[in-house]
Amino acid sequence: MLTQSSRRRQLSRRLTAVLGASAVLATAACTGGSDSSGGSSSDGGTGASDATIALSIQAQPASLDPSLLQEGQQGYIWGSIFDTLLYLDNDGQVQPNAAESWEYSEDLKTLTLTLREGMTFTTGDPVTAEAARATLERTRTTAGPLQSRLESVTSVEAPDDRTVVIGLDAPDAGLLIALATGAGVIGDPATFDAPETALDPVGSGAYELDDAATSVGSTYVLKRRDDYWNVDAYPFETVTVRVIADATAQFNALLGGQLDAGRINPDQEQQASGAGFTVSDLIPTASATLLLLDRDGAIVPAMADVRVRQAINLALDREGFSTALLQGNAQPTEQFFSPQGPAYVEDLAGTYDFDPDRARDLMAEAGYADGFSMTLPSTVFSTTFEPTVTQALGDIGIDVTWEPQPPQSNLASIQSGKYPAAFWFEGLDPAPRQVQGHYTTDATINPFHTDFSEIEGLLADAASTTDEDQQRDAYQQIGTIAVEEALDAPIAYVGTRWATADGVEYLQNGANVFSTIRAFGVSS
Amino acid sequence: MTLYVLRRLAIGLVLAVLVTFITYLLLSPSFDDIVVSKLGPTGATPEAVAAVKTDLGLDRPIVVQYLDWLGGVLHGDFGISYFTSQPVGDAVASRLAVTLSIVLVALAISVVVSVTLGVLAAYRGGAVDRIVQSVSLIGHLVPSLLIAIAFVYIFAVKLGWLPATGYTPLSEDPVGWLKSITIPVIALVIGGIANLSAQIRGAMIDELHKDYVRTLRTRGIGTRSIVLKHVLRNAAGPALTVLSLEFLTMLGGALIIESVFALPGYGQFAFTSSLQGDIPVIMGITLFGTLLVVGVNLLTDLVNGWLNPKARVL
Repeated sequence: MLTQSSRRRQLSRRLTAVLGASAVLATAACTGGSDSSGGSSSDGGTGASDATIALSIQAQPASLDPSLLQEGQQGYIWGSIFDTLLYLDNDGQVQPNAAESWEYSEDLKTLTLTLREGMTFTTGDPVTAEAARATLERTRTTAGPLQSRLESVTSVEAPDDRTVVIGLDAPDAGLLIALATGAGVIGDPATFDAPETALDPVGSGAYELDDAATSVGSTYVLKRRDDYWNVDAYPFETVTVRVIADATAQFNALLGGQLDAGRINPDQEQQASGAGFTVSDLIPTASATLLLLDRDGAIVPAMADVRVRQAINLALDREGFSTALLQGNAQPTEQFFSPQGPAYVEDLAGTYDFDPDRARDLMAEAGYADGFSMTLPSTVFSTTFEPTVTQALGDIGIDVTWEPQPPQSNLASIQSGKYPAAFWFEGLDPAPRQVQGHYTTDATINPFHTDFSEIEGLLADAASTTDEDQQRDAYQQIGTIAVEEALDAPIAYVGTRWATADGVEYLQNGANVFSTIRAFGVSS
Repeated sequence: MTLYVLRRLAIGLVLAVLVTFITYLLLSPSFDDIVVSKLGPTGATPEAVAAVKTDLGLDRPIVVQYLDWLGGVLHGDFGISYFTSQPVGDAVASRLAVTLSIVLVALAISVVVSVTLGVLAAYRGGAVDRIVQSVSLIGHLVPSLLIAIAFVYIFAVKLGWLPATGYTPLSEDPVGWLKSITIPVIALVIGGIANLSAQIRGAMIDELHKDYVRTLRTRGIGTRSIVLKHVLRNAAGPALTVLSLEFLTMLGGALIIESVFALPGYGQFAFTSSLQGDIPVIMGITLFGTLLVVGVNLLTDLVNGWLNPKARVL
């Protein structure tokens, strides 16, 4: 039995090793493959079988309207109902899916996708390029969670039944990933405006909702379509997704045999193992971060000084946070980007090891020896961490006051421009997404519109080349800037451990953080 | 009597309008934040927020928005959830059915057990009384949730006799339904019995010491008849009031039970919707909740009047 610390060391080694071999994101690809399997060998498809799986999600899914999908755990449901144009495999690589191949133009401003033949919706109607075009067009013109994913798209055309041509205003490093996730689903245009689309949509995916067995809001039962073009990639005949908000209830359901797979805490690991479950390593899915939003010093002038931001980073005892507050479900880090992505810079590990003396020196150098005050939003995410953050920053002279926010204002408070910093859990999305979401001038989580033209230039460099090394260099530079300029104060990668029952295997390792039923396989 | 009922119902409707309007007013400062939350971290661009606000009609004057909602309600349209797109009427009805099926069963068991214990304690006194008081005290002291969690561990996780979580509708599988509500009902019943049995015992003791009991005895009426036909009937008034309060307490307490047992009930639904700021759902829950309270109170008054003519208002 590994101790927590040895497990963390093991994880650290694993993360480091994986980084070395990490695949540069598939935005690099100028041309895509054309294998007809639509998936890589790392994915669960060991052939269609009559196995079943039951797992849980924490909240009732949002609308299943193809233009209003939310990327989170509910992806287990909509990702099974809809086909996406491309597919992100368990190693984080973009693979062919409904589109059997893709090709960029020389200037990377036109993407041509070729759909495979023989796909059908559950209604029996064929999946055509026009359906893909109409879905993309609707998503990019409908205000919703996915609209910004297609921000660079200026036109979508379907010159024939199998070809979709996407025009861009500039090369977009995140486009292929968008087409492999929510923004890339194919809906049935004939049912777009039907009232039932939000709850029971028509798709062309591997599964369809079993209406009789599904209870909206509590249990979703998905039946595999035997006429699906890639049925061998989906070993489970029936997938049951239950909504269980409470972690203890989920664990009880797991132990009681109602679930075949579930997320568990470190303190549940022994009990789960004892009950015969296989427990995965910690899989990082998000970073617990103190966002340093006011980098221009608009409301707290001190925050404009890089030395102050570095001092904040040095004041945080990341090991302590990880062990005590995150209950061992964490790996200390000062980096904002995924440890398995191209923007993670291994050499920067340890840049801000806990050193309050050095932090105080930096505060003094910056002219803030007497410290300063700032007010931060108190949200459901921050509550647990507030006393520790207050004490850590108080030790270097920063007086923190937390202002309570109603739960529905958690995100709005961060985007409001009223707070110089905020505690947040940032999902470890692919690097282009994280950069676009935080480190561009008009990013949604850049409320003070800090000028990030240097990073934007590097992002454009990554988007405008097909050379994987050049792309990696660009992302590494972005990662370096983020750490050295202390754009934020990441504290730890947080993640989950999966416990799976006999016959079920969890296949993801953190390279792909999107929830997909293909993260599970049948074990012998 | 009919006029009285109609008047109480009319007052209830006015109350529902007032409560829902105040709720809407209280929600209104958060409209922008709710839209941002709906769109998510990357979708909440200023343009998208403005577009969604217009689409949902949240850019209109508050009174117009409220009257629009109220007009919909009068036509049986309670709106669509902002976050799940589920029709609010369907969602509330299905959630309420889950909660009521647990609360009503728990209440029925509480009543039967509490009346038995309360009557025995009051009439027999002595050791029986002390045992009933102890049971009541323990019921108050021991968190029922703790007992429920222990039951889950023993009967669901270890023995596998009952499901650890979830709900099976009665119409689908009666045995499955019974299994799914057993532990939640036990969790609710413990507190219910503790409250009700103490109340019935107290009321019975008060009644047993009244002159009419002595008079009935001197006329040779049997003890069982005196206790069950006369004393219990007179003691039922205060107990009924506690019962109605207990019902409403159980509805509120169901939130925790629903959370622990992952039941798709009303309390959990109200809690989640409130956290999200799901305006149509919050309004629907507020309306149904208000009407439920009005209805239960009215029913209590009517039953009280039926049991005790002196308590009749009209």
